[in-house]
Amino acid sequence: MNTVELSFQLNGRRVEIQVSPDLMLVDVLRDVLGLTGTKVGCREGECGACAVLLDGEPVNSCILPAFKVGGRAVVTIEGLEGSDGKLDAIQEAFMEAGASQCGFCTPGMILNAKALLNRVPNPNDGEIRKALSGVLCRCTGYQKIIDAVKLAARNTRAASE
Amino acid sequence: MLDKTDETKQAQVLTREKIDLEHLVRTPKADLAVAGKSVVRTDDRLKVRGKLKYGADFPQEGFLHAKILRSPYPHALIRSIDTEAAKQLPGVVAVLTAADVPGRNGFGAIIPDQPVICGDKVRYVGDGVALVAAETEKIAQEALSLIEVVYEPLPAVFDPRDAMKEDAPKIHESGNILSHNKLRKGDVDAGFASADVILERTYQVPFLEHAYLEPDITMAAPQPDGSILVEGPMQAPFTVRRNIAPVLGVPINKVRVRQVHMGGGFGGKEDSPIDIGCRAALLTQHTGRPVRLALEREEVTIQTCKRHPMIMELKVGAKKDGTLTAFHGALYDEQGAYAGLGPLIPPAGGSHIHSMVMMPGPYEIPHVKVDAYLMYTNHPYGGAMRGFGAPQVHIAHEQMMDELAEALGLSPLEIRRKNAFKLGSVTATGQLLDQSVGLRETLEACAEAFDWEGRCRTRGYVDDARTRRRGVGVGMGWYRTSIGTGGDACGANVYVHEDGSVLLFSGITEMGQGSFTVLPQICAEELGVRLEDVRLVMPDTDMAPESGPTVGSRSTTLMGNAIILAARQVKGVILEMASEMLLVPVDRLESKDRKIYDRDRPDRSVPFRDAAARCMSRGKRLIGQGWWAPPPASLDPETGQGNPYFVYTYSTHMAEVIVDIETGEVEVTNYVAAFDVGKAINPRALEGQIEGGVAMGLGYALMEEVAIEQGYIRNVSLQNYLIPTTLDVPNIRSVILEVENRYGPYGAKGIGEMPNIPATPAILNAVADACGGRVRSLPADPEKVFWAIREAGGPPME
Repeated sequence: MNTVELSFQLNGRRVEIQVSPDLMLVDVLRDVLGLTGTKVGCREGECGACAVLLDGEPVNSCILPAFKVGGRAVVTIEGLEGSDGKLDAIQEAFMEAGASQCGFCTPGMILNAKALLNRVPNPNDGEIRKALSGVLCRCTGYQKIIDAVKLAARNTRAASE
Repeated sequence: MLDKTDETKQAQVLTREKIDLEHLVRTPKADLAVAGKSVVRTDDRLKVRGKLKYGADFPQEGFLHAKILRSPYPHALIRSIDTEAAKQLPGVVAVLTAADVPGRNGFGAIIPDQPVICGDKVRYVGDGVALVAAETEKIAQEALSLIEVVYEPLPAVFDPRDAMKEDAPKIHESGNILSHNKLRKGDVDAGFASADVILERTYQVPFLEHAYLEPDITMAAPQPDGSILVEGPMQAPFTVRRNIAPVLGVPINKVRVRQVHMGGGFGGKEDSPIDIGCRAALLTQHTGRPVRLALEREEVTIQTCKRHPMIMELKVGAKKDGTLTAFHGALYDEQGAYAGLGPLIPPAGGSHIHSMVMMPGPYEIPHVKVDAYLMYTNHPYGGAMRGFGAPQVHIAHEQMMDELAEALGLSPLEIRRKNAFKLGSVTATGQLLDQSVGLRETLEACAEAFDWEGRCRTRGYVDDARTRRRGVGVGMGWYRTSIGTGGDACGANVYVHEDGSVLLFSGITEMGQGSFTVLPQICAEELGVRLEDVRLVMPDTDMAPESGPTVGSRSTTLMGNAIILAARQVKGVILEMASEMLLVPVDRLESKDRKIYDRDRPDRSVPFRDAAARCMSRGKRLIGQGWWAPPPASLDPETGQGNPYFVYTYSTHMAEVIVDIETGEVEVTNYVAAFDVGKAINPRALEGQIEGGVAMGLGYALMEEVAIEQGYIRNVSLQNYLIPTTLDVPNIRSVILEVENRYGPYGAKGIGEMPNIPATPAILNAVADACGGRVRSLPADPEKVFWAIREAGGPPME
């Protein structure tokens, strides 16, 4: 089978691999690179469980051919915590607010929230709901997820003051 | 508000003689250190970091990949199957047909009527006719296309009422009527004769998909000792084991089933892991190799169970003041192709009997008659889904109550205040509700938090263009704790180690509901250690005592009690040792926060771990075993009279919606849900259950339906099976009331399913209030709302 060379930045590190051109990014992340924090729920870009950040913006990695990320920066849920094990404010807030139930949507939710807070540090309910509308959750009714994003925004502001 | 003193007095008079001491586990109700606290969930740290391993995240090296060849017909005879070409494909290791099943060729949670591999006949689009195991998924998929099956299509039946007819195509040899259950109380004719108003209505609900985000997966592997290990997300490991052993033709102790963390279940992962577990285990038995069977989203939709669709005919009689006099119901419950979790196993097993028991609603009605029919059809099979037959009938009786209130000129709250269960009420099955009945309290608390009266004043048009109207709605409900069968019991083992750390073995699974946090909380509370001292071992049928399935909102209550009994046994040993060490009588000792101390002189204490270490060094038993079964259930098969479940959770929901009368679109704008839960063991996790249940109920009301045409599902993916998003679900306010359940740990009763149940009718009632049109056949999507408004002759006049 033909392979193509793929070079991109993953969670702050340079990755150079040979991949089959028909592979989606999620398969490269999970099967080739062993990063299973990115989930597969539907394989058609509907549920958002596979969301990762591409140059800071959320994308559904199950419908993104891997070769398209060449030369770009990808962040997965594994890339959010510091090398010292310190968690991102959103991860902390998800625990504190009780925003995870089965947890399957959690990585996608957190990454979408991360992109939002990078853009809008102090979002209102409507902005949060809109930003997270591409990720499905069947467990929580979204309430505690929205609470968590607000809490993360508040804690981040407090830390920078 | 109710006069609680009178209620309490009445309760004491009623129940003093009735307490079932054999099933009473005395627990403290105050001064709790770990139970009752909103601790962070034990699995959260892994989840937020993407480190929690779900089934699909397990290493795949060495595994064969399995695929199922499915029937393309809803009903057909299999004339021949040719697998030769598939077997020749390089990389294919096994192609199995019905002849290759060594044991019983059937599985099922209640009746094993579903073939592991169909031999002579298929009964729905999705039935398995051959299994393939290959070195890669791709090869397995290709092999499926090389299998040649010759079918002879048969006439099919898709409506439960058609299925009942004499000349209907027979789906199973036993006939299409799987069960006919009867509920008889009083004399309904006399009840209707004494009524001032009689109303008859029919309500209908479709198949619903669980839409858990994690697709089903199972992994089977041969073990060095000749046993087979089956792992995967599942709610009922013991039921999976009970099915796999006879299919393989081996004793139960040769099958080990282990739960992997679940990405949602909602009842659906009670049935489906049996299905794929049996098939993967069979392939492992044949190949001697580990086999991985992972379903794609579309396969999940086609193959696995759904919420039962129903046609519900109701006739209700009432006095002018709203007092109910009689209820007559007919329930046409569609089971689909296989029995699944539908039929009755005495005294009260399947979902069908639960629907029947719940159908008259949480109301005192002197005369009740229900006939409930469960029919096979050539549709996918019905299974458990968050409420087990209760959401459907609540949609009927709660809408009926509103329609009746309207006919009588009463408000929706007045008619419910008149009839709702209270302490001392007798249900339609003749059960005396002698404890923990907080239904009316939830109504009043909900009305207050929602500001029902205030919101009623803002009903009507919300815009100058007069296109959007606001309305409010209420839904009440009740739900069992326990499954009500004879075998409904839980066991737990608690091991304490010399350093004070604890292992907890339980067969209750985690699907997101929080049992892996709540159960250790209960264990830590009883032992007097910290939550972080307790490690819960993933449910494993080789290690945990039989605990039944994780269903029926039973985990916290039944397993909680089993854990308390187990912990108490081992704590007794440790306290005796501490008594020797402190020279203090054992009955004066208290264990809390890792310390055992003299209640009279708290400064005299010994660390829990020191007492445990000394027990170990002296050869004392540091293993506790607990077993708890609820007070026994009963139900007469001819009259439906008895005590089917030992305690119920109660709830009232109120919703505010805005309906666009030109498009039929509905927006839910405000929501309050009040619950009597007995005792909240983890209030924040409990709120999470409430909010999620309401969201699911909203989907049922407004958008969800498995659309099936001639046996073929049209919306197999999440692109066209729509579930609520952040933009559909409003802010939800939870009100938690605690009316003690005397048989529950710290007073608790079940909560997992209840939140889903009154949500749907509360929203439907609000829609009808807003626009004047009532949708009696779900979902109330824009098209149906649009037409309901037109049928009602336009929106209400002002």
